[in-house]
Amino acid sequence: MRRRGGNRHAGAECPGPVRLAVAILLLGGGLLGGAAHAADATAADAAGRVVAGQRLFAARCGICHAAGGTGTFMLARRLGAERALLAERLDLTHELVTHVVRHGINGMPVFTRVELTDAELAQVAGYLTRAAAP
Amino acid sequence: MSMPVPPGLSARALQRALDAFAGVVGREWVLDTDLDRDTYRDLYQPANETHHVPAAAVAPASTEEVQALLRLANEHRVPLWPISRGKNLGYGGSAPRLTGSVVLDLSRMRRILEVDARHGYCVVEPGVGFFDLYQHLQEQRIPLWLSNPANAWGSVIGNALDRGVGYTPYGEHCAQLCGLEVALPSGELVRTGMDAMRNGRAAPLFRYGFGPSWDQLFVQSNFGVVTRAGMWLMPEPEATLGLTFALPETTDIIWALELLRGLRLQRVIDSSVTMGNYLRTATMRSQRAEWHRGPGPIPPDVERRIMEAYGLGRWNFTINLFGHETILEARARVIREAFAAHYRGEIHETRWRRGEPPPQSGAHIPTLIFLQVINWWGGRGGHMGFSPILPIAGREAHAQFEATRRRYEEFGLDHFGGFTMGERYLTNVNQIIYNRDDADMTRRAHALFATLIEDAARAGYAEYRTHLSYMDPVARGFDFNDHALLRLNETLKDALDPNGILAPGKSGIWPRRFRGREL
Repeated sequence: MRRRGGNRHAGAECPGPVRLAVAILLLGGGLLGGAAHAADATAADAAGRVVAGQRLFAARCGICHAAGGTGTFMLARRLGAERALLAERLDLTHELVTHVVRHGINGMPVFTRVELTDAELAQVAGYLTRAAAP
Repeated sequence: MSMPVPPGLSARALQRALDAFAGVVGREWVLDTDLDRDTYRDLYQPANETHHVPAAAVAPASTEEVQALLRLANEHRVPLWPISRGKNLGYGGSAPRLTGSVVLDLSRMRRILEVDARHGYCVVEPGVGFFDLYQHLQEQRIPLWLSNPANAWGSVIGNALDRGVGYTPYGEHCAQLCGLEVALPSGELVRTGMDAMRNGRAAPLFRYGFGPSWDQLFVQSNFGVVTRAGMWLMPEPEATLGLTFALPETTDIIWALELLRGLRLQRVIDSSVTMGNYLRTATMRSQRAEWHRGPGPIPPDVERRIMEAYGLGRWNFTINLFGHETILEARARVIREAFAAHYRGEIHETRWRRGEPPPQSGAHIPTLIFLQVINWWGGRGGHMGFSPILPIAGREAHAQFEATRRRYEEFGLDHFGGFTMGERYLTNVNQIIYNRDDADMTRRAHALFATLIEDAARAGYAEYRTHLSYMDPVARGFDFNDHALLRLNETLKDALDPNGILAPGKSGIWPRRFRGREL
């Protein structure tokens, strides 16, 4: 586990990589406790998929899209701070997430199917759209 | 979009090769849909670009699979373009030099094979990224530091093999390579240096081995596929000390470089010093429209406003020192005394001691913050780096900076210029930032790049690393004795890769079957 915390980047407006690393870590752990309380098997399966998606999001996307990440900064500038953190957005759809990951948008690069397989992308999209799930 | 094919190969023959590749790696790791081709193109390329378009990608998981794919590529005469993680952004990313090549994506090979804290090295596979290695060092509590490039999304090995740089005393990444495992174009596996012994005990410790030293021949070349490498890592220092300067006038670089060269040669300074103009800070922290909406380059009054807003000088840089605190204090005193004759401004100091929260120096934690720069214009941003190598000479550097600035203005682009000082050389770093949704701007960005290469060649400078599109013109600049160096590289290429299947055109080195065809 990472041992250190604090923002060490010189620019006051720039994100600190360590703060980012901590944010990724917290993101990775946030839903784990919640999943254990799922009442029935179906709900547990769904929660498990969300947790898997959350882990993947933290590992593959979090270096840009956790708090303090470069993607979060870019989104804050373009869409405002309230829509900058993808994990907190309620307006994302499965189709949008899939399209952006495979085709890119603005400063966001594409991901190949090696870097994020179709199955993994579905899990990430499931996590980011969890609020809209039935 | 139909599948592009390499010159001299039919679509059917290429498909047969892909089927054979699938027999090695499994069908799911041969990626040949239109979408796959798009995802392996140069991120910053215009959508209608026909150069550097891959036919497909194939992703092996092991050295054995790499060897098998190379043998099949020979059999089917299919060019392969190896990438480690494909994040060489600004230089072509994951795209091949030659349209119709099959990208050999090594990003599934991401094992950290060994980390030795006692001797300060790691042995890793090409898919290991800076974030992966950083996380491993942190989780295992290994007191070694990374040297990260500005864009740390990529591969540790891949960055070193393209002569990437970082900002610690270990910042010349290709110089930290020590012992490579390489699959030759034939598929045969070799190890270099002391690693060439079956039971070598000093493999990642002595760079040269016995006889010719091959590690650097696999850097920026197309002579083999590096499947693992030893890399030296810096022991965690006892302390760091950063001294930040803001020089008020553009001409201040003339005395500053003369002074810094002396300090570097004496090894009072032992890491690269990077100095940039105002745009380096502005592009990281803001978008252009926040300052100026007019056409053409940023006008001087807006430039001044940006500098005032961020408290910048014309040249802004930090000298980072790493090591024992007692020694750092002494070195800082020498630096302060040297600057005292010329510099009356504030010297901002940042200090860190082992055990404290991480240092201000920004040295060892990977970050992607640099990618903010592509957000400057709005739209889908792109960037390319034009970076010729100069001597560390104040007047010469100033003249190059001013000439380059005038070229940017001529092409209607904002000049993002600066220098990174190595041990005996100066890299003149110029970022060309553009909005690739603006076709005219994209065209101007490329025209500027081509012009800067010609200007530099006339002045006796050449780039150390370049985008796929400029590998041929940059290679042509090395023209002593009618391009004898290029002919030597071609001789090696033909000997090692007679069928010309590995990375044709990399660094301007074309195999015989494609040579002289202006591909």
